[in-house]
Amino acid sequence: MKETKRKKDGRQSVSYAKWGYIFIAPFFLVYFVFTLIPQFLTIYNSFFETYRDGLKQIGPNFVGLQNYITLFTPDADGIIRILKYASNTMIMWVAGALPQFVIALLLAIFFTSYRLNIKGQGFFKTVIYMPNLIMAAAFSMLFFTLFTRGGPIQMYLAETGAINQTFDFFSNRVTVRGMIALMNFLMWFGNTTIVLMAGIMGIDQSLFESATLDGANAVQVFFKVTMPLLMPIFVYCLITAMIGGIQMFDVPQVLTKGNGAPDELSRTLVMYLNGYLTNKNYGMAGAISVIIFIITGILGGIVYKMLSAQYKDPEQK
Amino acid sequence: MAEVKLVNIKKVYPHSEEKKKSKKKDAPQKKTNLQITAEGVVAVQEFNLDIANKEFIVLVGPSGCGKSTTLRMVAGLEEISGGELYIDGELMNAVAPKDRDIAMVFQNYALYPHMSVYDNMAFSLKLKHLPKAEIDQKVREAAEILDITEYLNRKPKALSGGQRQRVAIGRAIVRAPKVMLMDEPLSNLDAKLRNEMRAEIIKLRERIDTTFIYVTHDQTEAMTLGDRIVVMKDGYIQQIGTPQEVFNHPANLFVAGFIGMPVMNFFDAELIREGDRFFVEPDGHRVELSEEKAARLKANGVQSQAVTLGVRPDHTDLTEEGISCKVDVTELMGASAHLHANVDGRDMILIVSTQDTKKIPMRGDEIHFSFDGDVAHVFSKEDEHNLEW
Amino acid sequence: MNKHMSQNTKGMIQLFILRFFAYAILIFLCILCLFFFYLMVVNSTRSNAQLARGFSLLPKEHFLENLVNAWNDASINIPRGMLNSLIIALSTAVLTTYFSALTAYGIHVYDFKFKKLAFTFIMAVMMIPAQVSALGFVQMMNKLHLNNSFIPLIIPGIAAPVVFFYMKQYMESVLPLEIIDAARVDGSNEFHTFNTIVLPILKPAIAVQMIFSFVSSWNNYFIPALLLDKAELKTVPIMIAQLRSADYSKFDMGKVYMFILLSILPVMITYIILSKSIIRGVTAGSVKG
Repeated sequence: MKETKRKKDGRQSVSYAKWGYIFIAPFFLVYFVFTLIPQFLTIYNSFFETYRDGLKQIGPNFVGLQNYITLFTPDADGIIRILKYASNTMIMWVAGALPQFVIALLLAIFFTSYRLNIKGQGFFKTVIYMPNLIMAAAFSMLFFTLFTRGGPIQMYLAETGAINQTFDFFSNRVTVRGMIALMNFLMWFGNTTIVLMAGIMGIDQSLFESATLDGANAVQVFFKVTMPLLMPIFVYCLITAMIGGIQMFDVPQVLTKGNGAPDELSRTLVMYLNGYLTNKNYGMAGAISVIIFIITGILGGIVYKMLSAQYKDPEQK
Repeated sequence: MAEVKLVNIKKVYPHSEEKKKSKKKDAPQKKTNLQITAEGVVAVQEFNLDIANKEFIVLVGPSGCGKSTTLRMVAGLEEISGGELYIDGELMNAVAPKDRDIAMVFQNYALYPHMSVYDNMAFSLKLKHLPKAEIDQKVREAAEILDITEYLNRKPKALSGGQRQRVAIGRAIVRAPKVMLMDEPLSNLDAKLRNEMRAEIIKLRERIDTTFIYVTHDQTEAMTLGDRIVVMKDGYIQQIGTPQEVFNHPANLFVAGFIGMPVMNFFDAELIREGDRFFVEPDGHRVELSEEKAARLKANGVQSQAVTLGVRPDHTDLTEEGISCKVDVTELMGASAHLHANVDGRDMILIVSTQDTKKIPMRGDEIHFSFDGDVAHVFSKEDEHNLEW
Repeated sequence: MNKHMSQNTKGMIQLFILRFFAYAILIFLCILCLFFFYLMVVNSTRSNAQLARGFSLLPKEHFLENLVNAWNDASINIPRGMLNSLIIALSTAVLTTYFSALTAYGIHVYDFKFKKLAFTFIMAVMMIPAQVSALGFVQMMNKLHLNNSFIPLIIPGIAAPVVFFYMKQYMESVLPLEIIDAARVDGSNEFHTFNTIVLPILKPAIAVQMIFSFVSSWNNYFIPALLLDKAELKTVPIMIAQLRSADYSKFDMGKVYMFILLSILPVMITYIILSKSIIRGVTAGSVKG
């Protein structure tokens, strides 16, 4: 490179390296301005007391780790809110993700089974993937209108006697969380099915054939051949789903009008963050952001490890 | 038309880039013995070559020898790490490919998949902002030469391998470049098509007046196409010469083994000097070297020593006496027969004419063979160079 | 012989049961996926009074009426919201795909000192969600007076690690470096090569990613809700959330269903037309086995 940089004949260099920098520059510039600086600002804010008291602006005053301490100190009701919201988030995520992965695995196997030879796969896939593209806010609003008191489903169930006339889906912990989990399940199981299916199809078909000829039945083939080979993709799906779960916001926010009813039992971490953001309590919002950042950072690190493993040896791809 | 001059050209891949480069077919691989310095892997070094106007030069060597890298440096697709490249007397080291007035044909054709054949060929001319009519005329002319006129509106996907290769060549010749570079253009074709296209390139060469630099790993292509061939190994030039020179006077053991089909036979032998006369003695069978050879050996001050003796399979004759061995396999090829045998642990092949030989020796037969003194090559045991050099 | 027959019959019965079971599950899931949307569509054809009377699976004749009412609603300006969302989503889709392809190309084709570092960096930040820097982002945009502007919703799309990764993977499978060399020898400069040779080759990947980024921008609620408070700038998801917070009992329910229908309609239409390539696009860009 140094040789031509001298530009012996005074004309352009034949080195193409500079084009690499030029082509990636917009990405890094934008990332720096719109993500990296905000990220640092967020962390910076978490060490300051900054909030509005009525019309009065308090702070910013440097308070060190006070915001974090406050976050993990029981409030007047004796509740550590962040832990409560974290457990809400986790419960609702698990309630949606468990059926999501079980069903997705089952469907992926149905679709790839040579023996079953499922017809109309295109149609089925189109239908089950569709909810993934639906605006979460709209989906949630739809659930609200359908299940609210006087809404068609609530009325129908009350008429048939399945529920009490006065039953309110939105004042019951189980039904609210259940609806949120159901929506998350509906929105994501199709996506997971398709990814896992691609994973199964990526496995050398002859392995299944030889296992079958070796006398393995369908269940044995699944546990002894399919699952071990599918593991990397399965884990990747699971972790990205977890990262998505931590971000759970639109659905519960719209469904409960942002209050996490009943009794804040459907309030998620990001709803908590959003609350402080809209109140302009930037100190607390910063501290929550940092905590979410750390959790997703750890999970994202695992995903990164998995993705870069396939890049370690590009020749062997 | 142009003279191309390469002076002490060198290519070093810095260590960090090594990995990526090794993806390419002709770049340093673990198998080869490329020199590794603090700077990185040296893919090409001490490359000196003067190419005359309209000359057809073939760079030939095994994969990883640096031949493609050299070509890509001439094209301006790789930086030149050291040395100077001149085209028509002008220094080209830092000139962009588009300003070098060269064209290149790639191994995988590298046709633009979304453009028709016509647009593929017209692309470079459009970039030069030539008038439409002129572009059209040039494209049609080139298509005519290559017999692809009827495919001009097709997409590359709709063509066979041979047709794609013609288009790739067409794309290069429409520009009437000073230098035409070809990087293993025939290696993706099957054997029959390859022979056809080889003949096609020979014809093409007569029609377009330009300098060719052609890279191949196939010694047959090198022998049939080149005015001169440059044999490379491990980043170094081994020998430069006309095909006949390289064939008849290989500079070293590597060139001797690489050029010629079937491969030259090698034996362990004694070289014996008796005054001005030289003899080789493989397996106790003594053959006197020709006067010409003796004179060169004498001029080099060569003394008696153990050598590697090389004799091409078609230069061996069945004799009553001579070196004895047993036939392992006989391959009948029609006009000739290839006898595979083993002498002192080294495999060898003898070619005998089926017409002139009364009884073709078969598996298990004991045979004796010898050779003439003007076709024996003697190579140093120490550094494998041809002692005549 | 007889024993063989019975073995075969046994296998057939087994397979029949398996198939029945599989189809039953699939059909149930499909109904579950479609049920709520079907109700939405049906309810959007019913008047408020009809809706109050209860549950029905049959459409009525008030569709146009509801559409007109929703379209002309005074408090929720849905046509304006759809236009805003459309502008943002389309611009984002174009910028994201173009610059992701450009970035991936820069890293795929060129050799430069910080190439590995750049790639590692993008991969490392790929999974970090936008929420965790939202605070600083909103603060900064307020300082720059870019709140109530579409710029902070569009420009950041230039740096989309996931789309970058998809493009990089795609290039590895379809873009031979020889083509780029050929273009160089033909006299094309690097930008020209990218725009005229590489982009057309990447067309399928760009199409798929344009759809995905359009959809995610169209559906995006969290960040726009924090930035936009002027009525005429609000996007569809903000309006939907607004609908939820409004005094609900006064609403014409037929209109509400129509709002929801309108909010997902553009995405649904795109999906119905292009579902095949969208589904194909889902799988690329994830871990390989």
